[in-house]
Amino acid sequence: MSFGSTAERTIDMANIATFEKGTSQLLMGNEAIARGALEAGIGFAAAYPGTPSSEIIGSLAEVAKDAGIYVEWSINEKVALEAAAAAAFAGVRSIVAMKQNGLSVALDYLMGLALTGTRAGIVLVTCDDPGALSSTEEEDSRIVAKWACLPLLEPGTFQEEKDMTRWAYDLSEELKSVVLIRGVTRTSHARGDVEVGERVPPLRQAKFEPSNPLEFTSLPAPFKHLAANQKIDKAREIFESSPFNWYQGPDKPDLLIVTCGSGWFYSLEAVTALELEKSVGILKLGTTWPLPEKLVREHLSLAEEVLVVEEIDPFLEGNLKELVGEDPSAVGPIKFYGKRSGHIPVAGEINPDIVTAALARILDIEHRPVQPQYSQKALALTSQFTHGRMVGFCAGCPHRATFWSIKNAIKLDGRNGFVSGDIGCYSMAVGPAGYWQIKTMQSMGSGTGMACGFGKLAEFGFTQPVIAVCGDSTFYHATIPAIISGIYNRANFTLLVLDNSATAMTGFQPHPGTGRSAMGEPAPTVDIPTLCRALGVRVEETDPFDLTGTTDKLLDLMRDDGGVRVMVVKRECALVRARREKPAYKMRIDVERCLGESCGCSRLCSRVFQCPALMWDAEKGVAAIDSVLCAGCGVCADICPSGAIIRETA
Amino acid sequence: MSPPEIKGNLQLRADVIDRGLCALCGACAGICPYLVAHRGRIVALDDCAVERGRCYAFCPRVATDLDAASNAVFGAPFDTAPIGRVAQVLMTRAARENVRSSAQYGGTVSAIVAFAIERGFIDSAVLTKSDASVLPAGVLVRDPDDVLSHARSNYVAAPTLAAFNREARREEVRRVGVVGTPCQALALAKMRASPLENRNNVEKLSLVVGLFCTWALDLDSFTRFLAEKTPLDRISKFDIPPPPANVFQAFSDSTSVSIPLDEVRRFIRPSCNVCLDMTAEFADVSVGAAEGVEGWNTLIVRSERGRELVDAARAAGVIETDALPDENLNHLKGASLGKRRRALANIRQTTGSDDDLLYLELCAETRSRLLAE
Repeated sequence: MSFGSTAERTIDMANIATFEKGTSQLLMGNEAIARGALEAGIGFAAAYPGTPSSEIIGSLAEVAKDAGIYVEWSINEKVALEAAAAAAFAGVRSIVAMKQNGLSVALDYLMGLALTGTRAGIVLVTCDDPGALSSTEEEDSRIVAKWACLPLLEPGTFQEEKDMTRWAYDLSEELKSVVLIRGVTRTSHARGDVEVGERVPPLRQAKFEPSNPLEFTSLPAPFKHLAANQKIDKAREIFESSPFNWYQGPDKPDLLIVTCGSGWFYSLEAVTALELEKSVGILKLGTTWPLPEKLVREHLSLAEEVLVVEEIDPFLEGNLKELVGEDPSAVGPIKFYGKRSGHIPVAGEINPDIVTAALARILDIEHRPVQPQYSQKALALTSQFTHGRMVGFCAGCPHRATFWSIKNAIKLDGRNGFVSGDIGCYSMAVGPAGYWQIKTMQSMGSGTGMACGFGKLAEFGFTQPVIAVCGDSTFYHATIPAIISGIYNRANFTLLVLDNSATAMTGFQPHPGTGRSAMGEPAPTVDIPTLCRALGVRVEETDPFDLTGTTDKLLDLMRDDGGVRVMVVKRECALVRARREKPAYKMRIDVERCLGESCGCSRLCSRVFQCPALMWDAEKGVAAIDSVLCAGCGVCADICPSGAIIRETA
Repeated sequence: MSPPEIKGNLQLRADVIDRGLCALCGACAGICPYLVAHRGRIVALDDCAVERGRCYAFCPRVATDLDAASNAVFGAPFDTAPIGRVAQVLMTRAARENVRSSAQYGGTVSAIVAFAIERGFIDSAVLTKSDASVLPAGVLVRDPDDVLSHARSNYVAAPTLAAFNREARREEVRRVGVVGTPCQALALAKMRASPLENRNNVEKLSLVVGLFCTWALDLDSFTRFLAEKTPLDRISKFDIPPPPANVFQAFSDSTSVSIPLDEVRRFIRPSCNVCLDMTAEFADVSVGAAEGVEGWNTLIVRSERGRELVDAARAAGVIETDALPDENLNHLKGASLGKRRRALANIRQTTGSDDDLLYLELCAETRSRLLAE
């Protein structure tokens, strides 16, 4: 195996399409799902990227040619699901993956699809983000299964990620229903050993041929709704014998843990840590909607105390209680512990410590899951090697320059203008990295949707200039309808499209502006300024590294009251650029000129501008540049009031 | 009396800008990346962490030791006489007719500033220009022939000192003059008196020509008002002709608009209402109209520097001088005293106390003399 260059690596390394049957591979959870789909013979994969789901379709895109499948990055999750459903209707097995927020975008179509059903197998993978590590919300997707009458699988091991996905296609075709697979950040992004099976090439007999005129519609809805419920009944039967549900523990446990997904490993670790193998049993469920009732009742009847361990909402806990409530005598009296009892938190991520603490509390065991002052000790140890800062933009990021100009323009304008924000790297402008400029942030495209409302409040005495921001990928995803709505309704706002030519937050996936497809082929480009001009609005273009020019143009746009104005702020993502080119400039500090903390400077560069590559040398009382971090963008030279930051052509 | 405390940027904003006391002199602007002058406002772009800043030290609307300021300019404590420290009062005008006709009143300021550059009293001067949208700003002039193109009176407050802060940094600028309003002359005196290590190049300040001033207008509200009367980009000159006209005139090309002065007064900056100084008492020389004598200025010579320049200008035939009639001098003193009284009354009304005089940090004697008048 060679690590000499990207090209060599691609040739030498086996990938998820070329792994040999029967070998054991160290796979990321998302890759295991992708491999499972390939073993099921999928032909079509679509998604809009979203952490922690992105690598499922991303890894399929990388091997699309090897595997003979079609993979695309769709404009948004709804279109991805629609495209994948079309393939399935035409007989091609398909997969679509999204994060929890994406499921909300796709939900309108999913509801119709749930009633419609499918012909070839279709699997929708939704990856939740407990703790919102890379999300703006942490909702639990699983409720959708119950709501839409769809079977739900939750893999608990890496092997299951693959095997369940493979099996989900048989289930989907047997039920003629979409199958949901729910993962979480840890199951998606952790790696484990997976024994791979045989990869099956997709069938090449795609044909759209309804057996009756209404087969691929949700009509008549009450009839199809009844049918969907019957599919759930059938799934319940199938799940009774599923190998993805198992029990581990004593025949008659003092306490039964019922868990699913990531909770399986956490529960196992907690039971082992407390040496409770002889008294506590674990019922690990892989098929969590509908529940296999007989299996579940059988195990519930063994214990009088039950702890439910699961991520985010008490979904499993509620369904278990519902099941017990239907026939209490079948299982006898049970005391439930979980999220409702406060033993497992209802918000944030869970972990082995939480489960251990819950067990210790229920069983009254003396136990301290974490060393006292652990976090202080960890902080003391690590602070020698890092300096404290909040989540922020990378060195050289165009967004920092953009928000610098936005901040200054709003201050100079003086009418309390503000930014309604959107979802992307630039969302971090809710904090110090973007000078706290973003004041609203909810969902994809909502920055402009909010501006449509703020921009119509003049008759209620509203005089503040409204600035909406969105990224280039967000522009295509959900902003376009909001712009058109704003134009039509004469809303008064300025939209800044922060075009960094990448879906940067999720891993630089291509989009309609990049001229490249998911499979690496040239693709038509939808040019944002051209599109906006075609909508008939004033469009300006600017380079965010031109701080004065950007500030002046924005000031002018803010004063140009009335209607929608657009400014496309274009500069490639610093990380994308760094993969291709050396830094443009070599930066250094002229220590003679640096004013440091004195009047006239007050450490503007490291204290206010806050590029991570700008440091403060407290000993010498001057600014310093971390040459390892510095991306050589040169912007800091333009903000230094005494010209002490020197930009030399690299 | 201990010297007034020098604070930082945040306190300047709290004490002056947020209270509507900013005179827009520009002394705090452009010396750091935090405070800038923009369209008739001083804007704080970010919070500064320096505890004692030049912005606060120079501001004419924070606690000011008038004696210290006067000492820095004249080597003598503050003179509470109605028109301040006076070496000589004259009636003057530019000798050249073309200077007089391009300038306001007698053209004295243009004549002596151009002369000062020509003779090397100064190598350049910071003046105030207006652009097409009546947006006044400071500008550095190095060629005496260019002085006349900025000769007009501005009635809209201009942050001219921001240009001093910016231009005095340049190495080639060694001896710079400033033409400014009373608040600007006071700010420059405070700059000279400042105990801070950073001298702000004030040692290059070689001449201050003060302009008589009763008030200045707020840019934003006034230009919005004015734009409804006449296109702003066509305006070539403003004037307030002597009483009893009681109008504000805006001239453009061949036409002019006259607006009743009372309507215009609505746009006076609130800061002007607490200003004691009509005749720029901290300038080397102060110049205004000679009321009732068309085509002539009143000129007050205050400092030794000022006297040297005026004598040389007269000797060179650049300006013509005459005695100012007693009646005019008395009228000037009365008007000056009137502004001071109104300001003190406004200050006391604002603070509700004789002890708190906002920005006036006075020794007991000065305080009692000022209040007695």
